[in-house]
Amino acid sequence: MAVNAARDLPKAVAAIAIVALAFLPMAKMPAFYESFIYLIFFWVSLSTSWALLSGFAGYFSLGHAAFFGVGVYTTAALTTKFGVPFLVTVPVAASLAALLAAGIGAVVFRLRRLRGELFALLTLAVTFVIATIILNTPIDGGGGVFMSAVPLPHLMPTPTGTIYILGFAMCVLTLATAWWVAHSRLGRGLFAIHDDEDVAEAKGVPTFRYKIMAFALSAAIAGAVGGIHAMYVGFVTVAGTFELTVGLYVVLMSVLGGARHWLGPAIGATAITALLYAFISGGEAIMGRAIVGLILIVAILWLPDGVIPAVQAWLKRRHAAPAVATRAEVVPVVPAAEPEISDRAILQVRGVTKRFGGLQALAGVDLDVPEGEIFGLVGPNGSGKTTLINVISGFYRLTSGTITLDGAEIGRDPAHEIARRGVARTYQIPRPFVNMTVLDNVALCATFGGPARSQAEIRDEAMHWIGFTGLGGKEDVLPPGLNLHERKFLELARALAARPKLLLLDEVLSGLNPTEIDNAIRLVRAIRAQGATIIFVEHLMRAVVELSDRVAVLNEGKLFALGKPREVMRDPRVVSIYLGKAYAA
Amino acid sequence: MYGLLALGLSLSWGLLRLVNLSHFALAFLAAYLTYELGTTYHVAPWWAAMMVVPVMFLIGLAQHWLFDKFKVNELASLLITFSFAVILEVAIQLYWTADYRRFETHYSTMSIKVGAFYIPVLELVLCLVAGVLAWGTWLWLRKTYVGKALRAAAEDADIAAAYGVDHKKLAYLLSGMGAAYAAIAGTFIALIATLAPTQIWAWLGVVFAVVIIGRLGNPLGALLAGMLIGASESIAMAVFEPAWAPVVSFSVLIAILLWDPEWL
Amino acid sequence: MLLEARSLHVGYGDATAIWDVSLDVDAGEIVSVIGPNGAGKTTLINAMAGLLRCRKGELRFDGADMTCVRAYDYCGHGIALVPEGRRLFVKMSVEENLELGCYLAAARAHRQESLERVYGLFPILRDKRRQLAGELSGGQQQMVAIGRALMARPRIVLFDEPSLGLAPTIVDDMFDIITRVRQDGAAVLLVEQNVLKALDVADRAYVLEQGRIVSTGLPADLLKQPHIREAYLGV
Repeated sequence: MAVNAARDLPKAVAAIAIVALAFLPMAKMPAFYESFIYLIFFWVSLSTSWALLSGFAGYFSLGHAAFFGVGVYTTAALTTKFGVPFLVTVPVAASLAALLAAGIGAVVFRLRRLRGELFALLTLAVTFVIATIILNTPIDGGGGVFMSAVPLPHLMPTPTGTIYILGFAMCVLTLATAWWVAHSRLGRGLFAIHDDEDVAEAKGVPTFRYKIMAFALSAAIAGAVGGIHAMYVGFVTVAGTFELTVGLYVVLMSVLGGARHWLGPAIGATAITALLYAFISGGEAIMGRAIVGLILIVAILWLPDGVIPAVQAWLKRRHAAPAVATRAEVVPVVPAAEPEISDRAILQVRGVTKRFGGLQALAGVDLDVPEGEIFGLVGPNGSGKTTLINVISGFYRLTSGTITLDGAEIGRDPAHEIARRGVARTYQIPRPFVNMTVLDNVALCATFGGPARSQAEIRDEAMHWIGFTGLGGKEDVLPPGLNLHERKFLELARALAARPKLLLLDEVLSGLNPTEIDNAIRLVRAIRAQGATIIFVEHLMRAVVELSDRVAVLNEGKLFALGKPREVMRDPRVVSIYLGKAYAA
Repeated sequence: MYGLLALGLSLSWGLLRLVNLSHFALAFLAAYLTYELGTTYHVAPWWAAMMVVPVMFLIGLAQHWLFDKFKVNELASLLITFSFAVILEVAIQLYWTADYRRFETHYSTMSIKVGAFYIPVLELVLCLVAGVLAWGTWLWLRKTYVGKALRAAAEDADIAAAYGVDHKKLAYLLSGMGAAYAAIAGTFIALIATLAPTQIWAWLGVVFAVVIIGRLGNPLGALLAGMLIGASESIAMAVFEPAWAPVVSFSVLIAILLWDPEWL
Repeated sequence: MLLEARSLHVGYGDATAIWDVSLDVDAGEIVSVIGPNGAGKTTLINAMAGLLRCRKGELRFDGADMTCVRAYDYCGHGIALVPEGRRLFVKMSVEENLELGCYLAAARAHRQESLERVYGLFPILRDKRRQLAGELSGGQQQMVAIGRALMARPRIVLFDEPSLGLAPTIVDDMFDIITRVRQDGAAVLLVEQNVLKALDVADRAYVLEQGRIVSTGLPADLLKQPHIREAYLGV
C-alpha cells in the first residue's frame, strides 16, 4: 500500500496543479502575476525543448534562439503582412523551425569530428546569421514589428489570459513530450549517444537519425513557443528576440536543474525566473542577473550534473542498504559434449584491404569462419588485428574486398546496421555508458540489437544475461562502481544481449589476474555453447592456445598462418615472426 | 581591434583548452577603470594602463586557480566564464550606470595627414600596438624556452613533463597573460569606443570567429584574421547595408567549421 | 646501484598491470626487459620515468627515494625517456624538439655542446633541423626521440620499445645507437618485444609476463630456458 501511495500521490498532486493553473486566469488576478506565471511556462518550455537534444544527447547547442526567433518572426510576418489568423501561424512556425533544424542537422551530423564545443559555436554562428538576415530583409527591416493590432482568439476573459493559457498549454505539451521521449526508444538512444556515440552506433542505435529527430523536435517546440511569445511581447525586434540571453539562459536553466532528466530544465527554469522576478519587484533588476550568474558558477562547480541528479544521489545514499561486497562466482553452463562446429561458414572475408592515408593496415585478408567456432586472431603489434575487427564491425569502412555474414554482404553497411544483423563486439578498454546502470546498459543493447519487444521482455532478457555473466545483484550499480573484471563482463553481457551470431572480442583478458582469466575462459566457452561464433583477438598466448579451435596469425596486414593452435604456434615461420629467425632454428 | 581582443582568447583557448567568455568583460572592466582614472583622477591613459594591466594579470591568475581547484573541463569553463562575465557586467552597471560614456581626450580628435587621407592617431596607435603585441607574442612563443615549453605542453603534457616542463605553472602564467591582453584591449576600447555595459556582448561573436579563423593559439593568425575580418566587414558595410556586416564573419566561420574542423 | 625497484605494483584506475616487480640497473649497464604484448612493459617504463605513480613498492634512483617526486622533477635527477611511439612534438621543428630535451637549467648550459653531439650521432638530423618533426620518417623520428633524451645529459636512458614500427634494417641501427649511448656514459634500461635484438645488446635481462618477472639472468642463459617460448608462443 505504501508503494502505491508514493507513486500515486505525485500524480494526483500534478493533476490538481494542472487543473488549478489552467483556470487561473478566471480568477482575475492582476496582470502582473499572470505575466509572471506565463513567463515561467515560457522558460520551462524553451529550456525543456533545448534539453531534448542538448541535455539528452549531449550536443550543446548555443543557438536555440535561432529556432525561437524563426518562430517569432514567422508569426509576426504572417499575421501582420498576410493577415493569417494567429493560431494558424503557430504550427507553421513550429514546422519552419523544425525544417531549419533538420537542414542544419543533415549537414552537420554527418561530420564525425564536429562535436562538443564546435557544434556549440556553429549553432551560435547560425543564430547571428539568421538574425542579420531577418534584420535586413523586409521580414523585419530594422523597425520591428507591431503586433498589437493582431486579433487574438477569445479563449479567456482577457488578452493576457489568452496568452497565458496558450503558454500553459505549450508548457504541458512540452513536458509531456519530454517525459515521453525520455522513456521511449528514441530517448534511450539519445542517452547512449550522450555517453559514447561510437559505442551506441556499434550497438545498433541509428545515431544520425535520432539526432536529427531530437534536433527537429526541439526546434519545433521552440518555434511554437516563439510564435506565442510574439503576441505576448507586442512589439517584436531583432535585438530583443535574438538577444544572447535566450540562447544562454536555456543552457543555464537546464544545467542547473539537471539536463538529462525530463523535469530538470523545468526546475531550473522555475527557480531562475522566480529569482529574476523577485529582484524586479524589489527594484534591483540587474542584481538578479548577477545572482543568476553566481548561482550558475556554484552549480557547475559543486553540482555538475544539476540539481535533480544531486537530489537523487542524496536520496539513494540515505536509503541504500550497506553494500554487499560479494564477488559473484561465474556459474557457466557446462555443455555435456563438445558442441558441433558446423560446416557452414558464418563469416566470409575475401580480399579485404584497409588503408589509412598512406598506411596499409590490411593488405588482402581471406578467411572463412564456420558457425560455432572459437577463432583466435594473433599477431605482433601493428599486424592489423584490431583493424580487422573494426572493419568487420563497421567502425572502419573497408577500402576494398567483401565481408559476408550468413550469406549477406555487410562490407559497406553502417555500424548500426551490422549490429542489427547480428555482429557484436567488446572493447579492450571497456566502454560502458557511464550514466546508465548495469541493467540499463544491457537493456539498451537488447533493445537495439534485437527485435522489437515490450519493456518487460527486454528487462527479463537483460537480467538473464546479467546473471549469465555473473553480475547478478549489481544491476543497479553505475559502471564506475564496478571493478575491471566486472566491467569486462559487462561488456560481454552487453554484447550477448543482442543475441549475436558473431561475437568479436578485443583483448578481453588484458588486465585480469589468473583467477579472473580462468573465469573468462569458462565464460567464453559457455557463450559458444549458446550458439554464437567467436573471433577473439588476444595477446595472452597460453589462453589463445587453450581456447581456440583454430588460430590465425596476422602479420603486416596479411594472413600469415592458419590452423590448429599448437601446430601454428610451433610453425618455424610463426616462431620467427615473434622471436626472430635464429631462435626458430 | 578585433585582432587585439582575439589575441588573449586565442592563447587561452589554444594552449590551455579553456574557453574564456569573461575575456570581453575583463576588457571592458579595464576600459571602465581607465575611463574612471582618466576622468575622475585625471590620469593619462598610458599611466592608467600601467596600473590596470597588472591588476588584470592577477585576476587572470585567480580565475585559473578556481579552474584548477575544481578540474573544470572545456564546456564547463564556457559556462562558468559566461557567468563571470554576467556578474562583471552587473558590477559595472551598478557602479557606472548604464549610460553611455565617452572618454574624451585630446587624442580622440588628433589625426595625421597621409597623402589624401586623414588617419586618426588613435587608430594608428591601436594598429601599431596590436601589431607589436601579436608579433612579440609570436616571437616569444617561437624563440624562448618558456614559449616552446608551452607549445610542447599543449601537444603532449605528459612527455613535456618527463622533460621537466611544469605545466601547471605555465598555465597560470598564460591565464594571467590572457587577462593582461584583455586589459590592454580595454584601454583602447576606452579611448576609441563608447562605453556601455551592453557593449560587452557586441563583439563576442565576431571575435570568436576571428579566433577560429586565425587558428587557435596562433597570435599572428589572430591578428591577420582580425584585420581580414575587419576589412571585409568594412567592405560589406560599404557595398551592402551596414547591418549585413556580421554575416561576413559568421559565414566564413560556418564555412570553415564545415569544411575542415581540423583547422582548430 | 643506480636504479632500484622493489616490489612495484603499478596500475591504471583499479586495474593493476604490474605485480611485485623488482629490478636493478647499475651505472654503465644495459638491461633489457623482454616480454610479449600486454605483459606490462610500457607500464613498467612509464613508472620508472615518473609518468605513473606506483601503488606499492619502492623506487630508488642513486639512493634517492623517487616515490614522492613529481613527474617534472624526474628529468632533473638524470632520467631521460624515449617513449613508445616516439611521442615527439610534431608541430615543432626537429631542433625545437631537441632543445626541449635540455629544458632544465642544468642541461641548458651545455646546449650547444649537446646539440653538436647529437648531430654527430645522427648527421641527417642536422640537415632536417628546421623541418617539422611530424614530417620525418619513422626511423628519423626515433633518432630525434633519442637525441632529445641525450640532450638532457642523463645518467640513465629508458627506452620503450625502440624497434616498434621500424623497418628491420633501421632496427639494427637503433640497437647500435643504444650501445653508443652506453659508451657515452649513461646506463640503459630498455623494454622490448623483439627478443633477439634485446638480448643481443644487453648485459642482463628480465622476462616479463602478465605483469610479473618470470625469469632473470644473463642473455645466453635465458635463451636456453623455456620461459621466453612459453610467454611469447604459449607452447
